Formats: sequence, C-alpha cells, structure tokens
Amino acid sequence: MSQSNTSVPAIRYRGAGVTYAGGVKALKGIDLDIPAGQFVVIVGSSGAGKSTLMRSVNGLIPLTEGTLEIAGQPMPDKPGRALRRLRADIGMVFQDFRLVKRLSVLDNVLIGRLAHVPTWRTITGLWPKAEVEIALEALERVGIVDKAYVKASQLSGGQQQRVGIARALAQRPKIILADEPVASLDPVTSHQVMQDLLRINRELGITTIVNLHFLDLARRYGQRIIGLRHGEMVYDGSGETVTDDQFREIYGRPPGDDDFLGGVA
Amino acid sequence: MIAPVRPKPRYAFWGGITLALVAMTAWSAKGVGVDFIGMVCNIGGGKRLLVESFPPDFGFLPRLFKPFLETLQIALIGSVIGGILAIPVAVLAARPVSPNGLVWFLDRNFMNVMRTLPDLFWAMLFATAVGFGPLAGALALTVFTVAVISKLFSESIEAIDTNLPEAICAAGGNWIEMVRFGALPQVWPQYASYLMYAFELNVRSSMVLGLVGAGGLGMILESQRSNFEYERVSLIILVVLVAVLAIEQLSGAIRRRLA
Amino acid sequence: MNAVVRPQAPRGGLATWATLAIAGLVLWSLWSIDASPERLLKLPEQMVRVLGFFWPADWGYGQTRALPAVLESIQIAWIGTLIGAALSISLAILGARTLFPRISRLVKFISSAIRSVPEILLALYLVPIVGLGPFAGALAIGIHSVGMLSKLGAEVIESIDMGTFEAVEAAGGSRLQAIRFAVLPQVLPEIMAQWLFRFELNLRASAILGVVGAGGVGGMLLTALRYRQFDKAAAVLLITILAVLLIDMASSAIRRRLVNS
Repeated sequence: MSQSNTSVPAIRYRGAGVTYAGGVKALKGIDLDIPAGQFVVIVGSSGAGKSTLMRSVNGLIPLTEGTLEIAGQPMPDKPGRALRRLRADIGMVFQDFRLVKRLSVLDNVLIGRLAHVPTWRTITGLWPKAEVEIALEALERVGIVDKAYVKASQLSGGQQQRVGIARALAQRPKIILADEPVASLDPVTSHQVMQDLLRINRELGITTIVNLHFLDLARRYGQRIIGLRHGEMVYDGSGETVTDDQFREIYGRPPGDDDFLGGVA
Repeated sequence: MIAPVRPKPRYAFWGGITLALVAMTAWSAKGVGVDFIGMVCNIGGGKRLLVESFPPDFGFLPRLFKPFLETLQIALIGSVIGGILAIPVAVLAARPVSPNGLVWFLDRNFMNVMRTLPDLFWAMLFATAVGFGPLAGALALTVFTVAVISKLFSESIEAIDTNLPEAICAAGGNWIEMVRFGALPQVWPQYASYLMYAFELNVRSSMVLGLVGAGGLGMILESQRSNFEYERVSLIILVVLVAVLAIEQLSGAIRRRLA
Repeated sequence: MNAVVRPQAPRGGLATWATLAIAGLVLWSLWSIDASPERLLKLPEQMVRVLGFFWPADWGYGQTRALPAVLESIQIAWIGTLIGAALSISLAILGARTLFPRISRLVKFISSAIRSVPEILLALYLVPIVGLGPFAGALAIGIHSVGMLSKLGAEVIESIDMGTFEAVEAAGGSRLQAIRFAVLPQVLPEIMAQWLFRFELNLRASAILGVVGAGGVGGMLLTALRYRQFDKAAAVLLITILAVLLIDMASSAIRRRLVNS
C-alpha cells in the first residue's frame, strides 16, 4: 500500500480559506503541504477550524478561496462521480463512530467498499466474496474480527471506533482523516486507538491526519503538529518541541487540566 | 407597591375565532338539516329496522368465508405493495435526503394531492378502469396506502440525524447508498409501525370497498342489502366489527413491541 | 497479525423469516384474486385510456352540481366532528387509566367497539331511520368519531404529569374540580388539535357516504362513473381535491399553532 509517487505531496493547500454564508471565516490563508505517508496531528481550541480543515480534504466542506490538490489532482468542485472516487481513496473516522447500529460489524465495514461495488449489489446485500475478504482483513488488522457478525450497537465505545477504523481501512485509502477519534473514549482505550492509527500509518504508509483535543496525546503521537487558531495556522512543527508558550499561542491561554488525557498506554 | 397588571386577553383574536366557529356550525347545521327532534319522532322506524335485523342470521356465516378471506387478501396486498412503493415517494419528499429542490417540491405536492382522495374514491376509479372485482380493490388500497404511509414516513425521515448519511458519503457512497445505509436504518422501526397502521386501516376499508364493486365482504353486503335481507346484513356488520377489533388489538400489540 | 479464527456467518433471523412469510402470503393473495401477470400487464394501458376520458372536465357541471355537493360534504364533516368531539370528552376522561382506573378498560373497549364499524356501515343503518340525506351522514360520522376521539383523548390524558392533579385533590378539591383545573388545561390544546385532525379525516369519510345516500359528493361521483360521464366525474374529483387540500392546509396551520401554544 506504499505511495508510488513520493515527490508529489499527498495534500497541498495554497491560500485556502472557507468563509461561511454569514461572513464567518472558518479558515483563512492556509498554505500547507503534507507529504505522502506522514502522520499529522492538528490541534486548536473548538471553533479554531480543525473540523473545517479536515472536511475540506474530502470535500464535505468545499473551499471558498484558494486551491487544494490531492496527489497533484485539483479537488473536483461539483458533487459527482469524480468526487466520489476521490472520497473512496480517503477514509474518515469520526468522534461519534457513526456506525449503522442495527447492522453487523462486517456489514458496517463493507460500507467502506461502497465505491467499488455496483449499487444493486450493495443495496441488496449481495457483496462479492472478494469484497467480504477485504472487509475481514481490515477487521483482522484492528484485532476485532471475532466480532464480525455481532450487531454494532452491542459493542463498547472503543470497539465501535475500531470498527470505524476498519471501515476506513477497507476503503484501501491513500489518506485517513480522524476527527477527534478518541474524544468519547476513556484514557486506556484512547491510547489503544491512537496506537492503532499510528501502526496503520507505519505499516501501510497511509497519510494520516488526526484532529486532537488532548495535548499530551498530540505530543506523544504527532510526528508533526499543526496548530490552528481562528482559522489560521499558527504552529507547524514536531511533536516534541511544542512548549507551553507555543501552546498559549495556539489556544490563547495557558494549558489546563482539561487539555491532558492522562492515563498510560 | 404597584399592583401587577392583569394582561388583557386578546379579545379580538379569540372573539374572531369563536365567531368563525359559530358561523361555521350554523351554516353546517342548516346544510345538514340537523333534526334531532325528527329523529326521535322517527324512532319507530328505527325500531322496526332493528327488529328486522335481529337476531343476525348466523346460518349465513359459511357463505361469508370466501369473501372474508378475499377482504383480508385485498388488505394485505394493498398494505405490502403500497408500503414498498411508499418508500421512494417518502424519501424524495424528505428535505434532508431529497436529491434536489424541484424533485422534492413535485413529490411533496404529488403526495398531498394523493392524500386528498378517500379510499372508496380510488376504488370507484379502479373499478371503472379494470372492472369490478378484488383486483380493483387491491389497486385502490395500494394507492391509498402509498398516500398514507409516504406522508408519515417522510416526516420521520426529515427528523433523522444527518451525521450518519455524511459518513456514508465520506466513504464514497452514492445517493442511493446514502439513503439505504445512512437514512433508512434510522427509521425502520417507525416504518414497521406505519405498515401495521396502514394494514389496520386497509382491513377496515377493504370490508366496505365491495359496496362500489371492488371485491370482498362489501359486495355480499350490498347484494343482501338490496334484497332487504337485514338479518344477514347485521351478521356481516357483526363480522366486520369483530374482525376489525381483533386486528386492532393484534396490531396494537405488535406496534408496542416494535416501539 | 492475529492468528484469530474468523467466526461463522449466522443463518437467517426473525426479520428474514417474517419477510419471506409475508412475501409468500402476498403472492398467494395475488394469485387468489386473479391478478395474473397478463391482467397486470394490461393495467397501464387500461388506466391511461380511462385517464384520457377525464379531460376536459365539465366545469359548468362542476359549479352547479359538484360544488354544492362538496360544500355539503364539508358541512357533514363539521357537524359530525362537533358531535363526536362533544360526546367524546366525557368518554375520554372516563377512559383514562390515570383518572378512573377501574372502569377505564371497559370504557376503552366500548370506544373500540364503536369505532370498529366503518362510518359507511353506520350510515347504512341510519338512512332508513332518519331518512336519506346529510343528517344520516353527520350522525354516522359523529358516532364513529366518538370512538376515535375518546381513545385518543384518553391517551393524551394518560400522558400528562399527574402532579397538579394530586395537588388539587390534596388541597381538598373534589375529583371533578381536580379534572377541571389540573387536567383539562394541560390537555385541551392537544385534544383540540386532535379534533381538527379528525375533521380532516372526516371530510374524506363524508365524501364517501353519498354512496349510500347519506349526502355529500360520493353519490355524485358514483353515478357519474356508472353512467360513464367522465367529464362530470372529473369535475367532481378536481373540486373535491381542491377543497380537501385547502382545508388540510388551514387545519395543519391551526393545529401547529395549537400544539406550540
């Protein structure tokens, strides 16, 4: 699953911005290159633009200014087949897991294969064997294949998030976006999930971007940390070197207890 | 200390409403020819009718078996096929999932128009188009069921959480897949309950559709009535009463389990 | 990579069997009523043909005959709903488990029985008694509505918080006073909304009753179709649709305001 073309960055923003209808500027002046295979953590207070930035990568929120290129290809500006194909290569993991509760774990992971299977097969549930195989492999990679036929609603939070990651993996993506993936989980499980993401990034070389709330997680897992404040990038460096001063710049205040998860992996 | 001021009730508004209601009632009563006194005076005629109708002719019961079955079949077909067809109609009429504004607008109005016609009207129309008999009844109830269920169902769909559909789109699903995996799973229990409700309504309707020639018990009812066989008419009405009560209890129990 | 063994795929499930059973019943029913593929294939053609007859509509007839008949249906529905509403209040109160636990089941059963008879059958019996015409229709609708409204009303009463009710009784008020001051104000808006919705439904019912001579537009449509006067039938249909649409819109607007107040 290695990137073939390592000279072209996986993601490139130039002068990118998002302005909402009321004039609110959620993002402004973003110039950012993310090389293929990098593990990036984005931090910032709520409303700083983390979610907006993440959703602009797969077009859930379109840019209103500037450009975005994914692996050298400009972002399609209209919904349609091109956008869907792009999204098929980008897996997304959500804070609230977003599984179909009444379906089995396996069916949920198969949703990751939607873009590769004809519609009539997906809506009737007649998935080809090869696709089921891919889904089971994804489940094995996150270590939860024994629950393949269990109804999603019967799993714990941490297990559901693993299924969410498996669903993203099943897409065989080039990029994985994780929007506050551990915000609903306890400390021990949070570390497990972060380690899963890191391991997937290292083993499969998938470019990974994670929005994080907790500073200690960011420092520990972020190969590269980007700090957003009021929609602008105010920090871009490695995880180890974020000092408390720089933190103040990103968050506009000194770090407090809420910013640390605690717990040991 | 200043005494609190009692807010003045909006006399104009409530007065207007009351006036409108009274006017409506007066106009209607005149048109209808409300005559309770006359009714009481005519009770003699009623008594005679009741005497002629009782006791119900239970010996006629075996002849009702086949029409009764036909009634249930008509109701079943109408409910299931109408229920299936109602799904796309409901989906397109739900703002968060409808593909575009024009489709939504057209579908919504189509739905509202379909809802205006009572079941017996559909039965009359279909009896004209395809001839008398249970097929007309089944078609009528199918259309009626689409009207009833699609309205209820589209309102349910409008209340869904849009996060899940967003996740399906993020994974690369198209519109149909977004609906199938993101929207519908959230509302299946409600759909099932609407289906049962429609079946209840349809059993009631199918009992009487035969009065206009659309099959089922209604046809035998009409033939007996025009022959003034009132003990048989009252038997049929009794059968209808028991059947509807039974289905209602059953349906209520199932819907409570689904909730 | 884990050496975990993959689990077995499960077979079937309640939902699957239920769906198959229902599908089977439907297919059997279709065969029973002689809905063969040939007949079904002829359907579109038959319907389009009939639809063609409906245009143009006879608007003159629409104004002179159909419109008054539709108005009559509205009047029937109104009076019927009024009768139903008035009579259902006491039954709704008596049928509320939270107010009258011992007799509420019986009362509920009675209202179930009343509403199990379709209005049109009630009308069948009322016409010989009160004569042909709209009064029979209004009575039939009124009686049927009592059944429906008292059940719905009882459900609303059962759903409210009984705290205020207990407070009034504790302060020495009689049961009747408690109902008047604690229960009714809470439930009135929703019950009135139910009356309005019932009016919408009764309008459709009253449109049908003409078929058995109980007034309104139904008989007119039946006759027009029977004698294949499709232009007149079209006028009847269109005016009915228009009237019901308008009343539906007005009624839902009022209902929304009632429920939000």
